[in-house]
Amino acid sequence: MKAIVGSPGKGGAGPRLALSGVRVLELSGGAGAVGGRILADLGAEVIKVEPPGGEEARWAEPAADLPNGERTSLFWLAYNVGKRSLCLDLDSAEGRRLWPAVARTADIVITDYQRFSIAENDRLAAVARAANPALIWTEIWPFGRGQPYENYPAGDLVVQALGGHLCLNGDLDRPPVGIGLPVAILNGGSEAASAALMAYYHRLHGGPGQRVDISMQECITWTLLNTVMIWQILGINEIRGGAVRKERTNNFYTRLVWECADGFITIAPVGGGFGIVRERSYAALVAWMAEDGITDELLTSRDWNGKDASKISQEDYDRVAEIIAGFIRTKTKKALMERAVRDQILLAPINGVRDVLENDHLRERGLYAPVRDDERGTALDYPVTWANLSATPLRHPAPAPQPGEFDAVIRAELDRAAVAAEGGVT
Amino acid sequence: MSGQGIFAGLKVLDFSWAAAGPIITKQLSDNGATVVKVESTHHPDSVRLGGPFKDGKPGINRSGFFADFNSSKLGISVDLNHPRAAEVILPMARWADIAADSFRPGVLAKWGFGYDDLCKVNPGIIMLSSSLYGASGPWSRHAGFGAQGQAIAGFHGMTGWPDRPPAVPKGAYTDSVSPRYGAAALVAALIHRDRTGEGQYIEIAQVDAGVTFLTPEMLGLQLTGIETERRGNADPRALLHGVFPCRGEDRWIAIEAWTDAQWRACLELLERTGTGEAILHAPPDQRRREREPVEQAIGRLTAVWDPFELMAALRAAGVPAGVPLRGSDMLADPTLRQRGHFWNLSHPEMGDLDYSGPAYRFEATPSRLTKAAPCLGEDTDDVLSDILGMRQDEIEGLRTAGVLT
Repeated sequence: MKAIVGSPGKGGAGPRLALSGVRVLELSGGAGAVGGRILADLGAEVIKVEPPGGEEARWAEPAADLPNGERTSLFWLAYNVGKRSLCLDLDSAEGRRLWPAVARTADIVITDYQRFSIAENDRLAAVARAANPALIWTEIWPFGRGQPYENYPAGDLVVQALGGHLCLNGDLDRPPVGIGLPVAILNGGSEAASAALMAYYHRLHGGPGQRVDISMQECITWTLLNTVMIWQILGINEIRGGAVRKERTNNFYTRLVWECADGFITIAPVGGGFGIVRERSYAALVAWMAEDGITDELLTSRDWNGKDASKISQEDYDRVAEIIAGFIRTKTKKALMERAVRDQILLAPINGVRDVLENDHLRERGLYAPVRDDERGTALDYPVTWANLSATPLRHPAPAPQPGEFDAVIRAELDRAAVAAEGGVT
Repeated sequence: MSGQGIFAGLKVLDFSWAAAGPIITKQLSDNGATVVKVESTHHPDSVRLGGPFKDGKPGINRSGFFADFNSSKLGISVDLNHPRAAEVILPMARWADIAADSFRPGVLAKWGFGYDDLCKVNPGIIMLSSSLYGASGPWSRHAGFGAQGQAIAGFHGMTGWPDRPPAVPKGAYTDSVSPRYGAAALVAALIHRDRTGEGQYIEIAQVDAGVTFLTPEMLGLQLTGIETERRGNADPRALLHGVFPCRGEDRWIAIEAWTDAQWRACLELLERTGTGEAILHAPPDQRRREREPVEQAIGRLTAVWDPFELMAALRAAGVPAGVPLRGSDMLADPTLRQRGHFWNLSHPEMGDLDYSGPAYRFEATPSRLTKAAPCLGEDTDDVLSDILGMRQDEIEGLRTAGVLT
């Protein structure tokens, strides 16, 4: 390892944080906040630099009325805990004076396409990076920087389309369908955190300050896993599916979504793939069905997952699937998953938001913890321990800041720094 | 074996397999780290057994699925279950800055290579374990894949039409989300180690990381009692937000209009080839109320267009638009090409293929995919001699004993 140049300051008392002493400026309309949240959880001091009164993203819909009377964006509340806020009019004389001063105190900056145009971003970057050449300047754009595409207009659905994911979801008799979450923004935002840290790590080892830019489109292409290779190698374009889908290696359409007593589960009981694991899973399912008196000999009439799986006809498949469907319909999601865990059956409940929030396994792992916000009058459960680090656990997030909540503290610090700098010169 | 880039000089002992773990260590290898991937013929990376296989012929070194996640890595073959495996693994752990694995919790410890074991020979090591459900909780011993993970974490349920069962999202969604979180935690741990000399154990569960993407919806449920559900491609905030038919077989275009200006620009463009129905000229409030008729009327206008020509025209008019690209389109996409997303690499059994590079660009220290994915055990002799300093007769001894299989 090379020697470390310019180690950042140590944190004070209290639990040790991996990124204590690292300062991040976040100028965000959405995606940047997702990355900022990750760095804040890891212990960085994340300062949101907002326009006077707060950034527009605070009020974006969908929003909720809070006990203190404010109406706040749910996305904003989700990804802005654990941060500080500095309100600064970057176009004013004061803003132009303070921006380089703030930038000098920072290690990492995160911006996004929702807050700035390319021109605005570049103007701010030029000033900040001239003031602090060691900065890691991190940007999130639909397609990245440096080519005509940097100006193509796009939102989340368009990026899901151009990332290649959209065309692979949904029933064939309807248009392709996206994931009903802003996944391009979320993937792009979280990618920014790891990429910014990589560049910062390199800087600590003598590397330069530099720009890092994220392409949300490329982030989505990474969610395909093997689609492009399937085309390259086999010349096959995958076909989308809804509840039923044609798997690449099979000649028949497979049901992947099954109705149960209180919703849906996903299971691919027959058809092979995943080797012995799927064979054992099927055997365990058949044994359970037998306990309920379902012993149709079709279930065991052939090796449904072994070497002959590829020879199953659609008619055979539909017949055995009907028997299995009849069984699954009598069971709840909870009962199915409990048995799956006990007997290693490869199935999973298709959880809704409430299921995810109330999930016993995640609860027992301690993933969720309430974030108490006295100002807003809320104590909401957040997923907080997205990773468990033995020496430097993630920081429990403080409530999301009010606009300019840390103005006084940060301005006083900048004033002290300015005085010290003048003192140093004379 | 030392490369250039962000992680030049960093040493990684990589037991991880399938997708989530190897995608994390790919961020290290594609940026200059020396990543040694450990497999064996008894326990190859499971995605080696999943196609697509070169020429459609299955083979341990023929999977494109495996190839894409393992660029720039070295591959060694060690039977971890062999009583003498420690003769290779423990010296490798002493050498490494980082160890990574994605076995089910407890499996590596059973072989004597858990975090505690590796710490004994290298107290400063950072170990990252990635699994589907995590090492604690009632499901910690339960095997699972991404198809289960994306259902548990809520992605599957949020995909599809409200009047139909949820549609399966392509992929194994949590396998793609958790590496972004895992890589951030790993680099943070490296920074901590640089400051203090202290290593640590990082546990990451795909489902935990995936669930963070639903935080707004979980807050909404707690604050309003309303549960967000799948809703096709609709977004009630937009003036237009959908996927519309185009000319050609199963060809579509996604269009978003968020402002009046975008809506007007879109309509003006589409009406060049045909007059739109009256509903398209109704006041915005009525158009929002009658979303379906509006979308059908838009679809009748888009249907005469070539999707790529329409995308270009809408872009030029400032309207967000994108063709849902297929696998074949991705390789030809001018944006991905200009961006340099694909790296053409040569593999001894699979020939030349385009591999995926990262989604980020470092201006000063670019990522570099230095080699195609390793064949199983391709670098065993080189790694044992160059890194561990073993003599050829020692290596042959281990091979004869069945350690290096």
